[in-house]
Amino acid sequence: MLERIIIAGAGGQGSVLLGKLMALTAMDIFPHITFFPAYGAEVRGGASHCQVVMSSTEIASPCAEQADALILMNQHDAAGFVAQLAPKGLAVVNSSLCHIRQVPRGRRLVSIPASAMADQLGSPRSANIVMLGALLRHKPLFSMAAAEQTIRKLPSGAPGMLEINLRALQAGHQAAG
Amino acid sequence: MNKDNKRMLYKRPEGLTDKVMHYCAGCGHSLAHKVLAEVLDELEVREKTVGVAPVGCAVFAYHYLKCDISEAAHGRAAAVATGIKRALPDRIVFSYQGDGDLAAIGLAETVHAANRGENITVIFVNNTVYGMTGGQMAPTTLNGQHTATCPSGRDPAGMGHPLRVCELINTLEAPYYIERVALDGVGGVLRMKKALHKAFSVQIAGKGYSLVEILSPCPTYFRMTASESLKFVNREMRDCFPVRVFRDQGTPQNA
Amino acid sequence: MTGNEALAEGAIRAGCQCYFGYPITPQNELTAYMSAQMPARGRVFIQSESELAAISMVFGAAAAGARAMTTSSSPGISLMQEGLSYLAGARLPAVVVNVQRGGPGLGSIDPAQGDYFQSVKSGGHGDYHMIVLAPTSVQEMHDLTIHAFRLADCYRVPVMVLADGRIGQMMEPIRLHEGPPPPAPRKPWALTGAAGRDPNCVRSLLVGEGELEQHNYVLQDCYRHIRRKEIMYHEKCVSDCETLLVAWGTCARLARGVVDLARAKGKRVGLLQPTTLWPFPEQRLRRLAARVKNLLVVEMNCGQMLEDVQRLAEGRAPVHFKGYPGGRVPTETEILRAVMALRPPRSVPRRKTGKRK
Ligand SMILES: Cc1ncc(C[n+]2csc(CCOP(=O)(O)OP(=O)(O)O)c2C)c(N)n1
Repeated sequence: MLERIIIAGAGGQGSVLLGKLMALTAMDIFPHITFFPAYGAEVRGGASHCQVVMSSTEIASPCAEQADALILMNQHDAAGFVAQLAPKGLAVVNSSLCHIRQVPRGRRLVSIPASAMADQLGSPRSANIVMLGALLRHKPLFSMAAAEQTIRKLPSGAPGMLEINLRALQAGHQAAG
Repeated sequence: MNKDNKRMLYKRPEGLTDKVMHYCAGCGHSLAHKVLAEVLDELEVREKTVGVAPVGCAVFAYHYLKCDISEAAHGRAAAVATGIKRALPDRIVFSYQGDGDLAAIGLAETVHAANRGENITVIFVNNTVYGMTGGQMAPTTLNGQHTATCPSGRDPAGMGHPLRVCELINTLEAPYYIERVALDGVGGVLRMKKALHKAFSVQIAGKGYSLVEILSPCPTYFRMTASESLKFVNREMRDCFPVRVFRDQGTPQNA
Repeated sequence: MTGNEALAEGAIRAGCQCYFGYPITPQNELTAYMSAQMPARGRVFIQSESELAAISMVFGAAAAGARAMTTSSSPGISLMQEGLSYLAGARLPAVVVNVQRGGPGLGSIDPAQGDYFQSVKSGGHGDYHMIVLAPTSVQEMHDLTIHAFRLADCYRVPVMVLADGRIGQMMEPIRLHEGPPPPAPRKPWALTGAAGRDPNCVRSLLVGEGELEQHNYVLQDCYRHIRRKEIMYHEKCVSDCETLLVAWGTCARLARGVVDLARAKGKRVGLLQPTTLWPFPEQRLRRLAARVKNLLVVEMNCGQMLEDVQRLAEGRAPVHFKGYPGGRVPTETEILRAVMALRPPRSVPRRKTGKRK
């Protein structure tokens, strides 16, 4: 079993945090996991992405050449990432900020307005969690309950953030139906 | 006045390229670059100027300033500038350095270039942190200020007190002109411009070493909004680093 | 945990008492981790004013008998060459970590392997060696750091952990070392105050007649000992391989994957992965070179370990090279392509195997 996931967005959208969250949750299921952030001289504002590889066998490279799942938080280099989708791969797109409307044949596309939904829930920063809910609907890498558990363990940010995040997870899951 | 009766009040200086700067919103480097470019143009020396860029956020200065620029190894800018100036005495040479570059790893080069009275202009952007590498403690970090490598705040016991560069250099015989300014508002920008004018004029006149320290905001690693960080420069930083002329015409000035 | 943090935690669990460092990407997490964790344990953390100062602080702490470490990345390690030579000359134990980035000069902050020569051939002046350990995973960042402290104390030499930005920044789950730190040998030479004994002196200036020569023989003796006892390497599928990959660090990790991919395509490929770059697994490489049809060295540089492999293969099999010098990590597919393109040599006469030692 091998799952290669790329999460891409703008700095501040929580792509890297989402990657860490997924890696942490999957630790109970996959014996081998790597997480690799893109690090750069220009940390702020620019593009930010990370990769998570989950596997039942040893992982040679933490940077996947192809992705089995792709989470696109914004438009930056979206076409480039879509081209990395493996056959049968799944792209989850934040349609509030990303205008990818189709993917190559044999790949799946799920669009949800994650940023708009997160805004409505009261925290634009939860868009990443909405995306996770949507991904898990179509690719149950781990259970929603497991995801919830990790979210509960996140360092508590602003008051009420935990509740919003938990609702964001469910909302993403449902909206992606 | 042009024929539409419109007057040019504000424009991009000739000495700046069109490139969009990579600096964070509210960062002092972009302002310092712009004013530096204006000054070089007003003194009509840009085409005979050679700059030395530091290792730090301003390492990409050559993207923005339309003059010859050399990079230097971390901290060595004053030595590289010395080499350039000695090889080409009729050119205008400046180094542009952050607090980590100038006051930590490069303090020896800084002091000795000043002590030799090199006829160069040193522009010192003090933002109290290492910006480029992620907001670590700098020699100029204020007591109690939190950074990535003093997570519980700078404690002078063991980490030392903030290093006052202008005061230090002012103890030497050779320097000709030393001033500290603060980028804390419009007034501060204008004073910075005057100070840079003065510093380069000193060099053009062949008088010797000039140093302008610019207290500068780093909203990203102050972990503040741009306007909060201006207040930080205005209050906390100026408290520790008094803004004034330290040396003029080679003689120390009273506070 | 990131590789950088796993390494830092390894140092703490190895009983590192003093840490000195200067910020540089891509190892800043390491310094930040130490800045929080060392003082919390009552140990020493100093952010030094430069790498020159950091390595000299290490020198001082080691001379005083403490377990000491500094960490940096390529440009900073260049500044430490002076201190490394002095540590070696004065026979002081210390651990130095290089999380490599692209060079020369400021290069880039991307992962690279351009410092093999500097580390293995000793970048400072004089006839000395450091033990050089090359981790390939977050787990090894942790384990080899602990091992580095053991070796340093055991032989009184500087030991380098030579990683790169890829392994430093990557996160993997790991098992943390739970046992006691490596045993600390007695250090009768340490400068602790000459109470009730003759004064000690830590030095490398030896101007007496024949003194330096004698000292260098002592050093060489120590290095011979290390060569005999401390070589470490990993192998994968070498028993029947026709093509032998030789790679270290990040490239070795990729090569492990390439071995599987190539075998799935019916190509008999194996891997030799030195964990100690100095001392290099020389015998092992000689033996394998006598058995295989092709060697392929893969590095993120323009051919540095390559020179050692060529020297040791002694023409028994052709040595090919695939290098990536741009601060870019190759993909498995790229390396696989290079492997699949290799043909058995025709013109090179095959010597009898097993005769030479
Ligand atoms: C020898 C060496 N050590 C460390 C570094 C990493 N480094 C790059 S920029 C920098 C600090 C710059 O801070 P500062 O001078 O305060 O300038 P700022 O980025 O805040 O403008 C450091 C330590 C390096 N490039 N070379």
